[in-house]
Amino acid sequence: MSIAIVGSGLAGFTAYQVLRRAGLEPGEIVVFGTDDDPAAVWRKRAAAIRQREMRSESDGHCRPATFPGLAFSSVRRRRSLRPLVESACDRYHPTVEEFLAHVERRRERSGWERSVRSARIERIAAVDGGFELDGRGRFAHVLVAPGHPGLAWPEELRDDPRAVHAYEPHEYAATVTVVGAGLAAATEWLNALEAGAEVVSVRRHEPRRMPLNVPREYFSRRGLAGFHRLADGEHAAHLRELLTPSYPLGQRFDEPLERAVREGRFRVEQSVNGSAQVICATGFLRGFEHDPLLARLVAEHGLPTVDGWIVLAPDGAVASLSDDTRTLALAGAASQWAFPAADTLAGARYVAHGFLRRITSCRTR
Amino acid sequence: MSYTLRGRIESRLAAVLIVLAGAIPLALAEHRWWPIEAVALMLGVGLVLDTQAYHRVLLYQPGWAALPLGALELGLLLLLMRAFGIMAPLEQAIALFAGAWLVAQLLGQAALPLLLLGYAEEGGELGRLGVVSATVVAVVLAGAASVAYALEPPVVHLAAGVHQGPLVITRREVLVGEPGAIVRGGIVVRANGVTIRNVSVVGGENGISIEGYRDTMLDGVSVSGAKLDGIHVRLGGVTIKNCSVDMLGNPLGQGIDISYNMDMGMSMVEGCNVVGGMNGIVTHSSMTEIARNHVSRTQTAAISMTEMSMGMIQSNEVRGALGVGINCGDRSMCEIHKNVVIDTRSDAAGGNKTRAGFGVEVLFGAEAELKGNDLSRNAAAVGAFQNSTVRWIR
Repeated sequence: MSIAIVGSGLAGFTAYQVLRRAGLEPGEIVVFGTDDDPAAVWRKRAAAIRQREMRSESDGHCRPATFPGLAFSSVRRRRSLRPLVESACDRYHPTVEEFLAHVERRRERSGWERSVRSARIERIAAVDGGFELDGRGRFAHVLVAPGHPGLAWPEELRDDPRAVHAYEPHEYAATVTVVGAGLAAATEWLNALEAGAEVVSVRRHEPRRMPLNVPREYFSRRGLAGFHRLADGEHAAHLRELLTPSYPLGQRFDEPLERAVREGRFRVEQSVNGSAQVICATGFLRGFEHDPLLARLVAEHGLPTVDGWIVLAPDGAVASLSDDTRTLALAGAASQWAFPAADTLAGARYVAHGFLRRITSCRTR
Repeated sequence: MSYTLRGRIESRLAAVLIVLAGAIPLALAEHRWWPIEAVALMLGVGLVLDTQAYHRVLLYQPGWAALPLGALELGLLLLLMRAFGIMAPLEQAIALFAGAWLVAQLLGQAALPLLLLGYAEEGGELGRLGVVSATVVAVVLAGAASVAYALEPPVVHLAAGVHQGPLVITRREVLVGEPGAIVRGGIVVRANGVTIRNVSVVGGENGISIEGYRDTMLDGVSVSGAKLDGIHVRLGGVTIKNCSVDMLGNPLGQGIDISYNMDMGMSMVEGCNVVGGMNGIVTHSSMTEIARNHVSRTQTAAISMTEMSMGMIQSNEVRGALGVGINCGDRSMCEIHKNVVIDTRSDAAGGNKTRAGFGVEVLFGAEAELKGNDLSRNAAAVGAFQNSTVRWIR
């Protein structure tokens, strides 16, 4: 056994699907994680913000290849070609239920349970020809998919009893302030308005409006080639710019917000006021130092970092710890250096493909 | 999908490879080069658009864009086929393009993403498969071009001056007359794929005779003084362009007679000037397009499509015919569009009502569709006899 995935969330799960598609048996892959339901964490967060449909489009799924996307499954289930037409127009967004059902199906079919070991890996040590994982074995190829290191809270609201994070379960008070400008914030505006609340949006910048987390060309070599060529400083600056919070264009957001503005139930302010409830839609902590496993990996192996990001090869591998006999790669938000939209399903697939290429070209395999 | 330039080109080449695999058998089956020429042109159009337009304008290409871009490429392809003189049946050419478009969509949206896991992430680049596709496409097209060149018929130049005929052509060749080249006594074609260009023919039983051979091209020929027909085609496929046929003084011969070639595909008479004769241009049991010709002073009909013929009579100018300008007869099906017929004189003095000087006459179970013709200056405009049908279209 020579391949390990550290992390049993959606990024690890997607990588597992890619490896299985490449012909690896469940017995050849070990997944270390704390929950054998790959959607467990994501499910709670989606439920917390009452998310009904995915921001990602037809190819936002856990399959190893982009085709067939979830629109195809929807065609069968809904007995309508509409999902395909919407998919061709980039307007198809699977529902959360559809996505979760898809994960469940893949989980059952892929032998995931046979590979999952319940364990939290706290240390990865490079050794000759591979990596030692917390005394749980030596692996030639390791994909680390640790997930987001925690929820980001505005410092000034950390001890405020009115404050709740968007990704934690909550109801809505009569007056709600939502801090943030991304998709979670936009979703919370609508949720609170629907619950009858008066909503104040507090944000540092006007939100960007775009269909996906980053511009579409950054999902392929078209945009990535130039991104990968940037020097470290420019690379980090560009990445910060790309990751500015945004939410999609469309009447789904505009119409209820415009109506609420007319009714005097929605306004924008610069600071938190006297609302009964403050919802922090401020996303996740960013930076390897917030994740104990990654922080230790960086410290013990002297990995290069810039502004909280671990510097990675274009395919998501840690260059100084990967060669033609072993691979250490990062997935999920930790691999944004390689793929700006790394914390999406497309990003998980991108890194998994790179990981697979490394494995198949490994001379000791 | 966000294609890189290389990805666009490689994805296109992979699709063309499959289309070529279909076009080659089609070309072999039809004994025509047009399917391969069309694919080569399709590729050329695509590559120019890829490099000069799509890559620059389309940072990201949504799936729906394949429809308008496909329509654009089809339009350009048809224009260029016309410009380069690639003679292809329109419906088949469109079907070939539609097939190629469908192959490209299936390949790009389904097959390649399944085959190459990172296809979308790589911006459509295919790696080694791309290099192989490009090589195979280049080899196949270069091979086809070499074969086509090797099969090009020899060109025979006919010097200025009078050459005593009849001249019998027994092999596939291009006969090109130098200015002033005249054949006295007629030309007889006895091979497929003969082209005769810029030759004047004087006399002969028929001026130019083609019986039983296909793919003959007559371009810029002139015929006069033939004893029977000016240009006589039986059981043969022919394209006649820019010709001149003088049948004055021969009231029984036909200017151009194309007959009994229904199984040879469409023949064409275009841009000819025919004077005199019994009929100026006549077809029997034939599929022929007769377009943009000038026909005058004929004894029976200027243009006649008869005996279960099918075809178009379009944009011709007919003057001074006796009895009938344009005739659609004997269960033929004729589309008669945008012709000008002037001064058709009555020949009904003997009591034959069908010879009353009709601009257009439809006879004996024939069906004619009339659209945009100018028939006002004739003894009679339109006549329909013996269970014939005339349909006017605005």
